[in-house]
Amino acid sequence: MWEATIDGRTLHFHLAGINNQNFIMRDEETGSWWQQVSGEAILGPLKGRKLTRVPMDEISFALWKRELARGRVLRPDPRFAKLYAKADWEAGIAKLPVATRISDKRLDLRELVVGIVANGHAKAYRMIDVQQQKPIIDTVGGVPIVIVADGQSVRAFSRTVDSKPVDLFARPDTASITLVDSATGSEWDFAGRAIRGSRAGRQLQRIEVQRDYWFDWRAYHPDTAIFNVGLMKRAS
Amino acid sequence: MSRRLVWFLLLIVAALALAIVLVPALVIQPFRPQSPRGLEISFFLKRLAPIFTVVTLIACLALVIKLWRGARWSRIALILLMVPAMLSAWFARQNHFEWMFNPLANAGYVSANAATFVADSDLVMAVARNGEATAYPIRQLAYHHLVQDTVGGVPIVVTY
Repeated sequence: MWEATIDGRTLHFHLAGINNQNFIMRDEETGSWWQQVSGEAILGPLKGRKLTRVPMDEISFALWKRELARGRVLRPDPRFAKLYAKADWEAGIAKLPVATRISDKRLDLRELVVGIVANGHAKAYRMIDVQQQKPIIDTVGGVPIVIVADGQSVRAFSRTVDSKPVDLFARPDTASITLVDSATGSEWDFAGRAIRGSRAGRQLQRIEVQRDYWFDWRAYHPDTAIFNVGLMKRAS
Repeated sequence: MSRRLVWFLLLIVAALALAIVLVPALVIQPFRPQSPRGLEISFFLKRLAPIFTVVTLIACLALVIKLWRGARWSRIALILLMVPAMLSAWFARQNHFEWMFNPLANAGYVSANAATFVADSDLVMAVARNGEATAYPIRQLAYHHLVQDTVGGVPIVVTY
C-alpha cells in the first residue's frame, strides 16, 4: 500500500504487466513502470523514485471489527461480483507454478513467510512457525522484536521498554492472545498495549510485517536471513 | 521499384507491426521469468507501439494500393497481409492485463456492520490515517489488484 502522491502530483495507476510474478503498475501521468512490492519506479521518467509506504495491517475481519468501533469497508463492485476470489482461493494460488530465477531452496519457493526489515536487515519467518510459536522472540538488525499471531493475523513489535529489551510469554489460559513480560508481569494485548500491571497504558512500537511467498521475499531481500526455530520441534 | 521489392517491403512492414506488439506480450507472461533487459526492451516497444503501429498500418495500405493491379490471388494475399497490421494497431491500444483484472478507480464503502459480504475469518488490509479507518477485504483486492483511494485526506494506492 503506497501514497499515490509524488512531488505534489497524485498518480493514477494501471496494471502494466508482471515481473517474476510480482506485478508492475504504470502511472497515467508519466507512463513510468512501478514494482508493486517495492514501490520503486523501475522504468520510465520516474525511474529510481520510490513511493512512500502506507503503514497497514493485514488482519482478520473479526479482529479489525473488535479493535475499531467505527470504520468503513470497501464495498464490492457489482460489475465484478462474480469475479471476486472465493473463500478458499489461497489453496488454488498455492498450486500455481513458480517462474523465477531465484533458486534459493532454503525454503519451498511458494512457502508463505512473514518478512521483517529492521536497521536494513531482512529476516523471513515461516508462517507455520509464527502460528505455532506464539510469540516469537528475536532480534533483527540489533532490534529486539516480538512477533505474535492470532490466527491468520500477524503483528510485530519492538520489545524495548525503558531502553531495555523485555522478554514476553503468552498466557496459556486466555481466549484472545495475551502476553506477559517477565520483568513486571504486566499483560500486553495483540495491539501491543499493556492492559494490566505496572506498565498498564504503555505501548510497544509497531514494526511492519509483510506476508509474502518465499521466492518473492527473497527476490527483493537477497541477503535475508531465515528464522530458525532451534530446539523447538518444527511443524511440517 | 520492382513489384517484387514492393512485395518484400510489405512483408517486412507487416512483420514489424506484429513484432512490436508480440515481443512485449511474450516477454511479460505471468508464468515465465523476466530479466531486467527483457523488461527494458518491452517498456521501450510498448511506449513506441501506439504510433509505430499506425505508421506501419498506413505503410501497408500504401504498399497494398501500389500492388493492387494484379491477379485475383494476389489481391487475396494483400488483404490477408493487412490483417496483422490492423490487429497490431488495435492491440497496441489495449491493456490486455486489464482484460482479466480491473483496477478500482472509484471506491465505495459500507459500515463494518453492513459488510455481510466479508467473513469474520477473511483477511483485510487495514489502514487508518488522520482518524479515518478503512478495511480492504483481500478477496476483493485479489481481483482488482489496485484500488485508488483517499484515506484521511491522503491519496493512496492499495496494491495486492
